[in-house]
Formats: sequence, structure tokens, C-alpha cells
Amino acid sequence: MSQVIVITSGKGGVGKTTTTANLGVGLAMRNFRVAVIDTDTGLRNLDLLLGLENRIMYDLIDVTSGRVPYNKALVKHKKYETLFLLPTSQVRNKDDVSGEQLITLCNEMRKKFDYILLDCPAGIENGFKTAIAAAELAIIVTNPEISSVRDADKVIGELNRADKNNIKLIVTRIRQQMIEKGDMLDMNDINEILAIECIGQVPEDEMVIMATNRGEPVITMNDSLAGKAYKNIVGRICGEAIPFLKVPKEGFFARLKKLFGLF
Amino acid sequence: MSEDIVKIKGMKAGLQLSFQNGAKFEDIKANILHKLESGNSFFIRGTTVYIPRGSLPTDQIEVLRKTFHQHGMLFRTEIPKPKIKLETNITANQSMQKKLSPEEDLQQMIVINRTVRGGQEIKTRSSVLICGNVNPGAQIIAGGSIDVRGTCRGLVHAGAFGNDKAFIVADQLLPLQIRIADLVARSPDVVEKSDSPERASIKNGQIVIERIARG
Repeated sequence: MSQVIVITSGKGGVGKTTTTANLGVGLAMRNFRVAVIDTDTGLRNLDLLLGLENRIMYDLIDVTSGRVPYNKALVKHKKYETLFLLPTSQVRNKDDVSGEQLITLCNEMRKKFDYILLDCPAGIENGFKTAIAAAELAIIVTNPEISSVRDADKVIGELNRADKNNIKLIVTRIRQQMIEKGDMLDMNDINEILAIECIGQVPEDEMVIMATNRGEPVITMNDSLAGKAYKNIVGRICGEAIPFLKVPKEGFFARLKKLFGLF
Repeated sequence: MSEDIVKIKGMKAGLQLSFQNGAKFEDIKANILHKLESGNSFFIRGTTVYIPRGSLPTDQIEVLRKTFHQHGMLFRTEIPKPKIKLETNITANQSMQKKLSPEEDLQQMIVINRTVRGGQEIKTRSSVLICGNVNPGAQIIAGGSIDVRGTCRGLVHAGAFGNDKAFIVADQLLPLQIRIADLVARSPDVVEKSDSPERASIKNGQIVIERIARG
């Protein structure tokens, strides 16, 4: 019934944490019981994106080392009552959690949650191996540029080596205009290399940065294209067939307005 | 009880044959031939047949190998591990094949039934058939030839142990570098796509790429 999903990418800065926060909120908006676990020990960010930093009492290391039960470390979201964050420690490092500990924890949490999302650290070292150990579905986040696609390819290989074969793709920061000019990889280019099922195409959107700084994921903003794209991804995770967004080209008028700083 | 002379066990990777203790080789051969010619649904062309090394003397195994080859089947004396963990599996292959002469290496072939992704490496003394793509950053190093049923964008090295008759075939041949024996060719800086399969081989001391038609 419950599903453990790891969000990973290989390369840093492509939008793993943003995606985790948005999918977590999106699933909670549909009244699923959701836990998001930050496994990026030492470089935690997920709490910031959810605006929950000031409520953290205990962290993942406290739980896996047996100091507190996991429900004590969970931070309930201020707005969405079925969304919980399990933050990680900012002072420890990634060797302080093992894959087995995370598997035990997730198995225990499965009883209480419909979805458990694991925010994976960048890289393919121990932190990555720990994070993927417990997951049955891996979502790879990539940008339409060559280095993050290469890294995604490598990560898929690593996942296969760890016997994880249920892998989906989300492409973020797509700029339609650059694709039309031929200056950016399009979905065909990406599919040709990665050849895994794509469940999301998120356009580049300034509101994502605003949302990050405010601690309110962009999915809560109704007028944001990226937010809409994330809502569609949530639907697809729930098994709905939703067509991909058609991103409108930035028209002449909009560009003119931007030029004069009107917005 | 002639049926029990040869026992067939179905496995994920093919058929394993074992023989009754003390059975005469003539009887075994006749039994197998009978099964092959009666159109037994077990023995479909392209199936791999395993006879564990040591269950028969080597010369008798060679006779059977020819028989199976004539009927369009693959023949091996070693059972691969059920989960193909490439790195380990291939080292096992190598130790087995060290005893073989270079010509025999060329006739051996390993089949990779998936896409080889960046950072993965396949190294073997035999030839390789890849049913999938070879992605950028992947390396295929083969003593024999390399056949990619898909797009090849990784580094491919055929005849890596000096065989200059080795060749590389791919549905789309777009690697950054092609190496055959001790020659290296770099891709042109502006890559042109070809819609037909291509073959790279050594002609007059340099690597030549030509279009081919695949049957």
C-alpha cells in the first residue's frame, strides 16, 4: 500500500530538494499521509524549503541511533496536517546513517504513511547508497543540459546495479524558447540517452526561487507554471494519465513588459 | 529407458543437459540427434545449450558442440551465474577463456541484453553483442568484434588484444572514439547522423566506416 520513493540525480543543484518538497506538499494536498525524509546529512535544506527550520527538535541521526522514536523527530507541516518532515542533522555527516538503518526506519514508518519521500544527496557515494537502499521507486531529476543528463545516466546504472529497476524521470528548468532555437536539449535528446519513463517536465520559473526563499513550495501558488507542472506530476504518481503541459512561448508583449520592469 | 540417457533441465539462460552415469557416447549422441531431428520444441534455434565441462571428455564435447551449432543453437560448457553482475561475471569469463587460442576467442560471444550506461565497462576476450544502446561514458573493450543493436555513443575498442580483423557494427555508430586493435579514430567535430547501420573495420592500415545493410 505505502510507497517509498527516493528523489535522486547524481549532479547537484538540479532540483532534487525542490522536487521532494513540492511532491510532498502535492501529495498532502490530496490528503495522503506523507513523510519527507532529508537524507542529505550535513547539508540539509528540505526544512528550509518547507519553512519548518525553527520547529526541528530531533533529527534522523537521533532516530537511527535509537535516542528517540521516529514520531518524536517528525515535524508536522504548519498548513498541511498530513505532511511530516523528518529532518537530518546539520552537524553530523553521511557516514552516521546506514542503509540498513534507513530500511528499518522506513519499514516502521510504512505502517503510518501512504508515501515516504527520501531526498537524496548529490553524488554516488555512501550518502546516495544509503538513501536508495530503502526505496522501491526512484525518481531521477535532471536538467536539459548535457552534464546533468550524463550524471543521470550514471545514476541509473548505479540504481540497476543495486537492483532498483523502477525508475522514473523528471526534467526541470526547461526553457521552451531555448529549445526552439536549438540551444537546449529537448525531450527527444534526453529520452534517446536515458530511455526511462518521464513523469514530469517542469519549466524554468522565477517563482520557484521566490517560493524557496519564502519556505512555501511553488506547488501552492496557483499562477505558477512550475507549480502546475508539479501538480501534474503528483497526479501521475497517483496513477492518473495527464498530458504534459504546453509551455507557452514568452510572447512579445510579455517581453516588452519585462523590459520596462512592469511585470 | 532410452529417454533417460539425456536429461534436459530448463534454466533462465537456456537448457542444461546431463547424462546418465555410464551411458555410451554413441547412445548419447544418437539420443540428442533424435531429439534435434524430431523437432522437439525444447531445441529452438538460438537457444543456449549447456553441458557442464567435465561431464564428458573434451573431444566428445567438441563433437556435440558441432552438432548443436549445425542445428543453429549456441553451445557453452559453463553456466553463467543467474544474476548477471557484469564485472564479476566477465572476469570469470576471462579466466575460462585464457586457455583458448585467439581464433577461438573470436568465435565466442557474450550477449549483453540491456543498455550499457555511462561509467559501466564491459571487458572481455571474446566478441560482444549488445542488444541496447551504448551510452556516452560507457566502455566496451573486446578481444573480438562488437555488434551494437542500438545507438553506440560510448568508447568501443574491438580487437583489443591485437586482432586487426575485428570490426564494430552499430545501428547508429556515433562514438567519440573508435579503436580497433592498435588504431584509434576520433569522431568528426561535427557529427553527421546516418540512418543505416554502419561498420567500422581496418582497411589499408586505417579505420574505415562504411554503411551496411543488415539482414
